[in-house]
Amino acid sequence: MTTPALEAQGISKRWPRTGAVLADCSLRVERRTVHALIGASGSGKSTLLRCLGLLEPPDAGSILVDGVLAVDQGFVAQDRSVRRSVGMVFQEPSLFAHLSALANVALAPHRVLGLDPDAARNRACSALDRVHALHLADRRPDELSGGERQRVAIARALVMEPTVLLCDEPTSALDPLLTREVMAVLRELALDAGTTMVVATHDLDFVAAAADSVDFLHAGRIRMSGTADLLGTRGLDDELDRFLQRS
Amino acid sequence: MPRVLAPLLVLLATMAAAADDGMARLRASGIMRWGCDISGGAPFAFPDPSDPDRVIGFEVEIAEELAHRLGVRAERFSADWLALIDALEADRCDLLINGFEVTADRERVVAFSTPYFRYAQQLVVRAEDRDRFTSLADLAGRPIAVLNGSASIESLRSAGVPPSLIVEYDDSLAPFTETVIGRVDACLQESFIARFFAGHDPRLAVVDATFDPGVYAVVVRRGDDALLAAVNAALADMRADGTLGRILQRWGLWSDAQRELGTDRGPIVATIPEAIGTPPEDGLPWSLVLWSLARAAAMTALLTIVSMPIATFVGLLLAIAILHGPKPLSRLCHGYVLLTRGTPLLVQIFLLYYSLPALGAWLGIPELLTWNKVVVGIVCLAANYAAYEAEIHRAALQAIPQSQWDAARALGFTRAQTLRFIIVPQSWRLSLPAIINDLNSLIKDSSLVSMIGVQELLAVALGIGKASFAVPSMLVAAAAFYLALSLLADWFGQSLERRARTVGALPEPIHR
Repeated sequence: MTTPALEAQGISKRWPRTGAVLADCSLRVERRTVHALIGASGSGKSTLLRCLGLLEPPDAGSILVDGVLAVDQGFVAQDRSVRRSVGMVFQEPSLFAHLSALANVALAPHRVLGLDPDAARNRACSALDRVHALHLADRRPDELSGGERQRVAIARALVMEPTVLLCDEPTSALDPLLTREVMAVLRELALDAGTTMVVATHDLDFVAAAADSVDFLHAGRIRMSGTADLLGTRGLDDELDRFLQRS
Repeated sequence: MPRVLAPLLVLLATMAAAADDGMARLRASGIMRWGCDISGGAPFAFPDPSDPDRVIGFEVEIAEELAHRLGVRAERFSADWLALIDALEADRCDLLINGFEVTADRERVVAFSTPYFRYAQQLVVRAEDRDRFTSLADLAGRPIAVLNGSASIESLRSAGVPPSLIVEYDDSLAPFTETVIGRVDACLQESFIARFFAGHDPRLAVVDATFDPGVYAVVVRRGDDALLAAVNAALADMRADGTLGRILQRWGLWSDAQRELGTDRGPIVATIPEAIGTPPEDGLPWSLVLWSLARAAAMTALLTIVSMPIATFVGLLLAIAILHGPKPLSRLCHGYVLLTRGTPLLVQIFLLYYSLPALGAWLGIPELLTWNKVVVGIVCLAANYAAYEAEIHRAALQAIPQSQWDAARALGFTRAQTLRFIIVPQSWRLSLPAIINDLNSLIKDSSLVSMIGVQELLAVALGIGKASFAVPSMLVAAAAFYLALSLLADWFGQSLERRARTVGALPEPIHR
């Protein structure tokens, strides 16, 4: 059995004021597969992704990235190479407002990986090309549409060649047309390029077309796990039925 | 000057380490550093109205003669008059010659030489009141103006005038203008000053009677006995051989009362025109005056240009330490900001300048003493403004959304890298307008360093204005220079803002 790209065991998280958001969540993401997290708003998808992205220390549980222990008993490893191996795309693109699209993508290769500016630029150009945004290289973030911004944000995460790319509802802030544009890019990355991804999303068409495995989150717990076929089932679980009906 | 500084005199006097014997030092250096306030006005030591770069006055001539007789060169040290005794205690100069009246209060702090001038108090009233007010008794219940810190105050107090009716002013010309305007009904000052400032003015009348005579003497540190003996010997010679008499005559200060000090009149000499106390007939020599102001404006610009970037950078470090530093450092920096913003800049300048020698001795770094005024001024302005800039930076740093930190962290940036390449370049744009605003205030606040004798724009304008009876027009001229500097600062600020708005197209962020 090969080492999974990402493995989480017993992740729990409780916010001091509002109470528990995650309880004993475990998941396993194989290489070159797409893992979808579905569930209603507030079910804990974002928090789980922030824990997996090493942005939020869980209260308990462990996370292994490519077999390397990144979080153990709730403590996050300080090793930067582990952090770099997990890429993240947020709901909001959060581009660096003072830099052009190209510089947004090239900054981390230059400053974090220590590549010289030319090498960093070249790498950034090919990352932008993968999301069909090379023609936007010299634009400022405020000159881009929401979809273009999110594509640049995906390129910014991809350029670091992460072991796994986490996407936290990357289209929730976009209208349907732009949603299609961004999801098309993600689908292409998943199907053609074999990128390992964990995607929290409401877009069930995307899940049906691209996801190899699916977890259904409800009230901070992983209630159902399976393949994309889970979306076609009825009567297995009341909450899943309710969620599928509403979506 | 604020009264709060009075208790500081005592503090600083005790802090100042007992200096080496002044005479040994004079001989070793070949220089006699004599202290005076050149903005105090004529005829003591003041900028020559026809050549504002030159300082003239009867005390300048006495100082030069005294140095000559001690076999050394005279070097003038300038500071605000009320700060001169502190300057002496702090060993910024060797002695003071600047109209210091011998009083019991002062004798507790410093030592006086034998006198070089005898004065008496004289009233000046408005011309139309000439017959109404002919003595202090006629002025009972009316406000009287005096020069801050002068012996006139003690005269009025001992004559039973209540403190509420004694109105003090910081400069010697103001009591006369206040009398003309009518805010007070009379002013009291030493007789020759009354003649100098009011003798030519048809709106004022000098009351004939004089009272409460007193003397001026050279001030030295207590315990500086060898220097005091040498000064007394030289003064005795100058009195006896007619040199002092000649200087007093040249400046129109001779009166028979001077003989009571043993001063010989010497050969009769004419009074020089500068001593008459009338405005220059053909007006101010504007080309010279503007040249002086331009150079003083350059000093103001220098103070600002050097201290503002330091303040901006240190302020940024303070803000980062407050927001992201370990708790003790954060608290310390926050405390610095509170302390610095909460105390007057004037007090900070004063304390730093006059406590440096003692601080240097305590730390074993005597070089601190030789820090010059401009350096001290720049350090004070930068340290003070850093506290204000820290708050501007703090607000701007906090305005950058948390999501920028998350995005950077997910890419593997350290906190320091995130600040340097992502957060600060963005917060800089937000803080720039407020910082340019402070740059404008700093241009004007820099005039406070004139307190320690830095000849910046406002000090020079006032000095020339008082010496040539043209304070209002000199203030307007100074304001024009300030406006020009401020417009320059705005232009500079706008180009900085334009630069900050352009986007970095390369991996190198725009602000490194």
